[in-house]
Amino acid sequence: MKAILSKTCLAVLATAAIGVSASAQAADDCPIPGNLRVVIGSTSTGGDTYQASSMVVDKLADQLDINAKVDAVGVMPGFQALERSRHGNTIMIFHDGAYLGNLYGVNGYPNIFDKFVVGPTVAINPGNAYLVPKNSPYQSMSDIIEAAGEGKKVKVAIQPGGVSEIGLTAMKNAVRAKYPGKESNLVAVNTGSQADKNQLLFDGAVDVINGSVQANEQYTQLPEDDQKAMRFVWITAREKTIAETNEEGMGDTTREQLLQYVTPKSSVPMSEDEDFTFDKEFFLLYNKDMDPAAIKCIDNALAEVYKDDEFKDQLKRSFFVPDYKPSEEAAGYLKEKNDEYKTIISNLKG
Amino acid sequence: MDILSHLTPMFFGLIAAGTLIGIIFGAIPGMTATMAVAVCLPLTYAFGLQNGIALLLGLYVGGISGGMVPAVLINIPGTPSSITTTFDGYPMARRGEGERALKIGIVASVFGGLFSAAVLFFFAPVLADFAIKFSYVEKFLIILLALTVIASLCSNMLMGIFSGVLGVWLSLIGTYSITEGGNGEPRLMFDFMQYYLIDGFSLLPVLIGIFGLTTVLLDAEKGFKDETGQGPISLKGGAKFKFSVFKGQLTNLVRSSSIGTFIGILPGVGGSAASVLAYSQEKNFSRDSSQMGKGAPQGIVSSESSNNALTGGALVPLLSLGIPGDSTTAILIGAFTLQGIQVGPLFIGNNIDTWYLMIIALLAANVMMFGIMYFAIRHIAKVIEVPKYILYPLIIMMCVVGAYAINYGIMFDVWTLLLFGIFGWVAHKIGLETVPLIIGFILGKSAEVYFVKSIESYGNLSIFFTKSPIAMFLWVLIAVSVAFAIYLRVRNRRQPTVES
Repeated sequence: MKAILSKTCLAVLATAAIGVSASAQAADDCPIPGNLRVVIGSTSTGGDTYQASSMVVDKLADQLDINAKVDAVGVMPGFQALERSRHGNTIMIFHDGAYLGNLYGVNGYPNIFDKFVVGPTVAINPGNAYLVPKNSPYQSMSDIIEAAGEGKKVKVAIQPGGVSEIGLTAMKNAVRAKYPGKESNLVAVNTGSQADKNQLLFDGAVDVINGSVQANEQYTQLPEDDQKAMRFVWITAREKTIAETNEEGMGDTTREQLLQYVTPKSSVPMSEDEDFTFDKEFFLLYNKDMDPAAIKCIDNALAEVYKDDEFKDQLKRSFFVPDYKPSEEAAGYLKEKNDEYKTIISNLKG
Repeated sequence: MDILSHLTPMFFGLIAAGTLIGIIFGAIPGMTATMAVAVCLPLTYAFGLQNGIALLLGLYVGGISGGMVPAVLINIPGTPSSITTTFDGYPMARRGEGERALKIGIVASVFGGLFSAAVLFFFAPVLADFAIKFSYVEKFLIILLALTVIASLCSNMLMGIFSGVLGVWLSLIGTYSITEGGNGEPRLMFDFMQYYLIDGFSLLPVLIGIFGLTTVLLDAEKGFKDETGQGPISLKGGAKFKFSVFKGQLTNLVRSSSIGTFIGILPGVGGSAASVLAYSQEKNFSRDSSQMGKGAPQGIVSSESSNNALTGGALVPLLSLGIPGDSTTAILIGAFTLQGIQVGPLFIGNNIDTWYLMIIALLAANVMMFGIMYFAIRHIAKVIEVPKYILYPLIIMMCVVGAYAINYGIMFDVWTLLLFGIFGWVAHKIGLETVPLIIGFILGKSAEVYFVKSIESYGNLSIFFTKSPIAMFLWVLIAVSVAFAIYLRVRNRRQPTVES
């Protein structure tokens, strides 16, 4: 019995020693803790943020040989956790909603470009979409813009202050450009989850809803006499982003069919010669005091991860577009995107 | 058939493991079925979809069922939906019938679970179509109907209603979140509180604070001097469990299971509303409800059958519409998305094997839950024989750990637990009624969202009366429920007079 005990103790000590030396070695190369917490700006584990984050973090952990866990804590707890984590134990993954919330003046949303370090982009969800009932009189975005311009109230169900609202802002901007003063005919019906938006459409309480290719595609396959049947009218992603998805598209809707709902075929003008587009991009956020060496290390690890075609295929199978940009490039790119939307939002307010 | 190849020992082993782990999670105050599913979700990568789903459904059923254990034995609902189990379970435990109460709960749970699984299997698409007839207006009326239980449960009507309103008020502290379509503006607090209270008080810490910590404080106030190994609560002495206790309970079982299944079908209404509603309907419509709240088996039957019936019900909108029915199925949907599988109105038709496997897993999880709990409960119930001076510190520790873990490590949730523990003690001293208060707290936020959204979507108050025949029917139920509560109160007041 004693012998077994001492052997067990020895084994435990040896394992611990190996672990310590491995950690020390990892710390030399790359100052990232052995246990990394990745908070996300969503409380849902069924949504795109969790899905994309899980896939990326899983590969990143393998690459860095660390333990990493994704926690679906939501926006404010996520920002707060990030703020507290000066040593890089906690990082965050979120999407454009992180800065759009601030642009829309949502309480508690900081300016992420000032308060945090913006890290690399990792993926695009090209599925942000707007839908109408299958038997709706609106066949296209032009119909909706024209209807609003002619004085008809068009109700649009969105979740305010973020990705869901930016498309509506663009629609209003388009109406204002063509029919100044008529943009208020596009009426936002602020709601929450996708289920709530769908329900408003089923009830006939709204004319258009914000949704996504992933969540709503099956509803577009239902027969017209089904109360739940819907039809895409606009997918906000850039044409080249949709072109990068798998040929099979999503569900029973092929990529070719999806391209019918993207600019230039479905157009929401932003200016005389340019249509509005919006790619929902996921990126990392770090505490302001995060060690630059650790940031560099994650950049390098992700660069390696994105060399793996099998991983990129895995993302594509889940209808994400692989989109790795290293921290510096991503920060500049997202700041530019932020400034572009800031102009549109403030023009409408002004 | 392809499906048979998935029915491996591994498949059933994972259901059993999931059910057991779920029961443990449910039985620890502050840990819930939702948390159990969330913790194990990443494992579905390794197990694949079918085996992963088997594990998660086991956790779901086990987690909901395990909540009854602390509810009965120590008066702390293990999960929010077992709140009504405390009303009769704990009084039974106090008179030495803890094991009996738990066995009644287990049998009622398995009935509710199997009932809802059968409903899911036979009627899922039809019920999903019916569920979408319930807009914000009808959902608000269902919450209002559940709130009428306050009239039945309070001992002093005026104080009960005041406590209920106070509970609703407390639930509104924080922001009207933009994720629920609100404006994101903080209310009912000072500026310096915003950092902590932006999302309001979390339900679980409030619940275990008011139920668990308050009980500990009240008992501590009395002192444990007389305890030298034998607590005042004993397993011996009370009536033994016999299946004959279910004689005359069929209506209660079927009605409560139907309510649980139906509430599960309605996305967003929540499990607590199911058990509260089932309990209030049993209280109002049973032939003799005079003992409810004092240790009546029928109370446990209605509570446990309804909250377990929620499991099958909540899967109806998930699998027929791609919309989760409750917080746990909201996490369950992640198992599908992680595997790249679309969940929506075509899910069942496109994934027929997965659909059958889910039904088998749900049935098996219920049967295993029964097997594990029924035969282990004799030993689990012995926890109440542990002297309180040993038991209570352990309970406080579990409550603190549970509160800290519920939102992935927020220390403020621990302060919430302590704050509401003390608040519950003070409430007891000044005569506030904590049960109506907590029901108001649980249902308040949903009531606000559905009320405001109804007005925003339809523009006027009259819509609550004119929206649909379903809305009118719900008003009738609300009126009947309130009238019954008043009638019972008057009758109970008269009875002693007549007897004297």
